[in-house]
Amino acid sequence: MKRETKLNSEQQQEQTAQHQSQQKPVTEFATMEEMLRFDTAQTPVPTGIAERLQRSSADCPKPSRSWWQRLFERY
Amino acid sequence: MKALMNEPLATRENSETQADWAWSEFADLYAEHSRAIYYLALRFLSDPQKAEDATHDVFLKAFRKMDSFRGEASWRTWLYRIAINHCRNLQQTWNERHMFSNADEAVWENAVAKTDSPFQILETRELGERIQTALDNLPPEYRLLLLLVADEQLSYEEVGTLTEQSSDAVRGKLHRARKAFAALFQKTE
Repeated sequence: MKRETKLNSEQQQEQTAQHQSQQKPVTEFATMEEMLRFDTAQTPVPTGIAERLQRSSADCPKPSRSWWQRLFERY
Repeated sequence: MKALMNEPLATRENSETQADWAWSEFADLYAEHSRAIYYLALRFLSDPQKAEDATHDVFLKAFRKMDSFRGEASWRTWLYRIAINHCRNLQQTWNERHMFSNADEAVWENAVAKTDSPFQILETRELGERIQTALDNLPPEYRLLLLLVADEQLSYEEVGTLTEQSSDAVRGKLHRARKAFAALFQKTE
């Protein structure tokens, strides 16, 4: 009797799990581009890159002013 | 650098040297474009560590070459050009990829997939892996086209310039690339 009760309980759990998995929300992307943009947004840039860049660029000669002067001339 | 990224230009002190000014501007560039460049490197190279190294190298090159930026293209396009050249060089050096011949392209022509059907995803956590698997099985040229076209900041003309072809050629190849991607993506379910 006990075994039967346990089986019933397991079956119920399985059915509930199946039911839940059937009800999982579906994310829909109309186009491949939309899906890639979503993936881009949820892909974080490793924080280590910025730290490495700061170290690497410390030894570089800094760019002269001309490039950002040009930048401001454009806007 | 993180602090600089979040600091608006107007609040920066006037006593900054020209070099600091350049560095601050560069931090803004990094903040705005690093995600796009890292994503391109990640999905093109299919290796998070190589993508991290590549993104670092691309921005370091950009920092060194900032003087040569003439404003003929957008910063985004300029950075993409450096990134594409860098990733292609890495690919050639590592020789890790299967080389696709023209005959292989015929396979993609006949790929059975509807490009106008929506992509339905149950688990968005696995989305990145599925996209990567599908992209890995595409010819590098198609992979690059799809990644660039997905960037809303780029026009077909700019994608054409970056991939050294006309915008009409981009449109033509894109149709086949989308079809091939859809077929491969379906297989990842």
